[in-house]
Amino acid sequence: MIVLRCPYCSELRTEEELTYGGEAGIERPPETASDEQWTDYLFMRTNPKGLSREQWCCTAGCGQWFKVARHTVTHEVVEILRYDEAFNTTMVGA
Amino acid sequence: MTKSACGYRLPSGGLIDRSRELSFTFNGRVLKGHPGDTLASALIANGINIVGRSFKYHRPRGLYGAGVEDPNSMLAVTDRYGYDPALRAGQVRLCEGLDARSVTGWPSASFDLAAGVQLFSKVLSAGFYYKTFKWPSWAFFEPFIERSTGFGKPRLTAEARTTHHRHSTCDVLIIGGGPAGLATARSLVGSGLSVVLADEQPQLGGSLNWDAAIIGSQEGIEWARTNAEELRSTRGFTLLTSTMVTAAYEGNHFTLLQSVTDSRGVANECLWKLKAEQVVLASGMIDRPLLFAGNDRPGIMLSSAVRRLMGEFAVAPADRLVIYTNNDTGYLTALSASRAGIDVEAIVDTRDAQYTPYAAVAKHIGIECLFGSEVSATQGYRRLSGVTVHDNRGQTRYIRCSGLAVAGGFTPLIHLASHRGVKPTYDATRGIFLANSLPAGWYSAGGVTGTLDLSTTLAQGSQCAQSIGAARGVAVRRIPAENVEADVLEGGASPQRPKRGAASAMWVDFQNDVKASDIELAHRENYVSVEHLKRYTTLGMGTDQGRTSNVNGLAIMAELQGVAIDAVGTTTFRPPYTAVRMGAIANRRQGHLYRPRRYLPAHSLHESLSAEFDDFGWQRPDWYRSNGTDRESAVAAEMSAVRTHVGVFDGSSLGKIEVTGPDAASFLSRFYVSNIATLKPGRIRYSVMLKEDGVIFDDGVVSCLAENHYLASPTSGNAEAVAAWFERWRHTEWPSLQVAISPVTSNWATIAIAGPRSRDLLAHLKPDFNISNSEFPHMEIRQGTIAGVPGRVARISFTGELQYEISVQARYAHALIESLLITRGDIQPRIVGLEAWMRLRLEKGYLHLGSDTNGRTTPLDVGMAGIVAKRKNDFIGKRSLSLSFATSCEREQLVGLIALEGVLEVGGRILAPNHTRPPCPTEGYVTSACYSPSVSQSVGLALIQRGHTRLGEKVLVYSGGTVIPCQVSKPVFYDPENHRLLS
Repeated sequence: MIVLRCPYCSELRTEEELTYGGEAGIERPPETASDEQWTDYLFMRTNPKGLSREQWCCTAGCGQWFKVARHTVTHEVVEILRYDEAFNTTMVGA
Repeated sequence: MTKSACGYRLPSGGLIDRSRELSFTFNGRVLKGHPGDTLASALIANGINIVGRSFKYHRPRGLYGAGVEDPNSMLAVTDRYGYDPALRAGQVRLCEGLDARSVTGWPSASFDLAAGVQLFSKVLSAGFYYKTFKWPSWAFFEPFIERSTGFGKPRLTAEARTTHHRHSTCDVLIIGGGPAGLATARSLVGSGLSVVLADEQPQLGGSLNWDAAIIGSQEGIEWARTNAEELRSTRGFTLLTSTMVTAAYEGNHFTLLQSVTDSRGVANECLWKLKAEQVVLASGMIDRPLLFAGNDRPGIMLSSAVRRLMGEFAVAPADRLVIYTNNDTGYLTALSASRAGIDVEAIVDTRDAQYTPYAAVAKHIGIECLFGSEVSATQGYRRLSGVTVHDNRGQTRYIRCSGLAVAGGFTPLIHLASHRGVKPTYDATRGIFLANSLPAGWYSAGGVTGTLDLSTTLAQGSQCAQSIGAARGVAVRRIPAENVEADVLEGGASPQRPKRGAASAMWVDFQNDVKASDIELAHRENYVSVEHLKRYTTLGMGTDQGRTSNVNGLAIMAELQGVAIDAVGTTTFRPPYTAVRMGAIANRRQGHLYRPRRYLPAHSLHESLSAEFDDFGWQRPDWYRSNGTDRESAVAAEMSAVRTHVGVFDGSSLGKIEVTGPDAASFLSRFYVSNIATLKPGRIRYSVMLKEDGVIFDDGVVSCLAENHYLASPTSGNAEAVAAWFERWRHTEWPSLQVAISPVTSNWATIAIAGPRSRDLLAHLKPDFNISNSEFPHMEIRQGTIAGVPGRVARISFTGELQYEISVQARYAHALIESLLITRGDIQPRIVGLEAWMRLRLEKGYLHLGSDTNGRTTPLDVGMAGIVAKRKNDFIGKRSLSLSFATSCEREQLVGLIALEGVLEVGGRILAPNHTRPPCPTEGYVTSACYSPSVSQSVGLALIQRGHTRLGEKVLVYSGGTVIPCQVSKPVFYDPENHRLLS
């Protein structure tokens, strides 16, 4: 069970109340991107064993999207950030 | 008190309430017990000997343990609230009216015809499955074997037992409420930390409930009670009794199963998911059996179980007891039994005389102690009648007895640490496996660390609290060491395979009938790995997960391989520690509560119109009995009303999302394939939206209500998903856009009126705006007063007829439909259900999302290539439409199909050219189909490879078991010129 405190509403929520939104920091390329750049954007993810940067949404609460640095093996949560804040930790393999 | 060989109630003592009696039944016999009894203690108090039969040989089995460690009693238990197919008797608290039945043995556990199978025990050795059932084939035998395996039968009847789930977090989870757990918890009082203490028993105290001790100035049991009371009244402390910690997962996340009982049984089960920062493992230990020939006879029992039965429940498991031990705790059992008035015939100690100071005490009260001795055989079939003892001088003695208490050392309960991947380390001097390298944030105290000493246990508990305080930076109270008077015991020795006795009579795993000879056979057949051995012999594979059998099995393997026990390796314990009912996991999400039901605001009106409802995410009328006696005739009448007159349809489930703000137009344009930015106030546009991979996600209309004010109408099923999709992009990709998203689906009722007379019907509602064809044309929306209330009217069409969708506040839905259905002169509107509505749209060829599109369909496949080509600026998914997959001419494209003969059915496959019947390659499938009364043909929509280039082509469709010829057409069968909806 993953338990996160939403950085917007400060409520502690369990994973059933949250929505996982995949890897954070994937940049959306412009229309002019090459096929390869675009398909990388669509499908390629780091999928780290270790520290992972993720997007989560406080679905059952305030509805805000935020960012989490989480260890994918231990579930240890290292950072919880508002969406516009920058990570202090580096993702494994990124 | 009448002494009975098979057990009886002691005249005094115990934690039972003797003032009250409870009736229960065991295999149909009515028996009595007291509140505070477990089913196990109550059975023994009634002299019940055989509780079940063993799995393979159907040997009679009596109770072997007093709690969850008991491998023998497998009972189907019914209380007032529910039924459990396979529980250990020691797990069940007695309640009034309880019914327990042995799940093994036929016709009964005490007389089992299948016991004859023992005669064939030679062919039922380890791995007999693989050796015996080879001819003609395994498949031939499988049904018979399946019938004879398993414990207990599930029951399909509904239960009165309620279930709950709770998700919670705490600072400290203490697992076990015995002296170690209580000592930890009391030191944390006042620390400000939130603490959850869980114990499987209904009262805290653990072994203090049955073993005598003095702590400070109190009896141990009083000490436990006093501490429990303080903890219960401490803010931030949660005491969970009758609660089993069933599993440990990453991130210190645990599952706990809490049973809430009343006088009639387990009324409620609560499955907790709990996350803790710090964890104290104070789960204690259980006794380990000693191996000897004939060790499975009813009457043979773990020594600690005998003490618990006498101390906590005041029952004697036998009238004449022999103790067989390799450590001091056997003496403790002997002395307790003697004090309780049980005849203790002898203590058989595998050690030499000098090992224990307790022998003198035992001898003093007249108990014979036999040192350096082994039990080499036992007598009796249905009940133990005596044991044969060999001493180290080669002398043999026969001792008559009705019970044998076995103390073979201890097994610390390290299962939860094992769930987290902790490899047990072997302590050869004490003969126990310990969890030494605990996961981060874990501490341990008491029996689980291998200590038998109460002072050490209490000190370890305090130390755990101090360590937690240091880790959390909080002050933890220091409790000075108390005077402890309890037996100081020397425990444990490495388990060994005895030198005497037949291995084929030496049971290692009682539940699965694995004998020492089976392990020897597996060894001879070259099974080296413990995991292979386990699966080959089924050792430890029963529902008790080998709690009592694992270590002895390992000891035999080690001896055979000539290595130390820890070199053999251990098996891994996996969650759950004890069985969790599927019902507790499913919680209330079953049957009619499987998912929430959504009702239309005018549901009761539809009921009064005899609607036949179906669940489409909402409970929606499929058709109305008021329109026909059967579905087909009703649907035909409903379709006819729309085509020739006017029909009324409740479309309130249609999604409604208001999008407002200075950037609303720009925002919406980024989602839809069509350019919403050019939409003028009062105008409506149909479009689709895509995911980034170019696949259609949703379709619907967008209305411009005013400048910077839009209403998006996603499909009923996607209303929530589209709103969440809008929000996600607003937050994560375009946070600078000034736009607000308001999902208002349930706030509005939307009632559609369709048919040539719908404008006349609308006029009767006296809208305060002009509704003439020229002033209010197709694809426009008006806001104003209608039927006397504020509302919106959109002129759009899903049916191909002139159609208006009237939206009012949801509370007016009932009244609006009612007034629309009033016969006014020659206008006789008819209520229309979803099936007619869907067939009407099929005749017109409008696509239905999810039917006519799948997880691969792009707008290019459904005839929107022109719109895509016209779009200048970017929208979600646009770039993907120029990838080669999307532009490939081999794609399945949406077209119409007209059956030239026969009837089209959804799912029919389009055969590849030059093939006349299956099996053959296919090139697409029928996505929607119906008989169209308007064009008197069976028509359908289909996704067909290269479909757009194949108009007019004849294809064969394998549909409903027959091949029917069809013609590919444009996806519109009715009024292709749109005369009707524009008039």
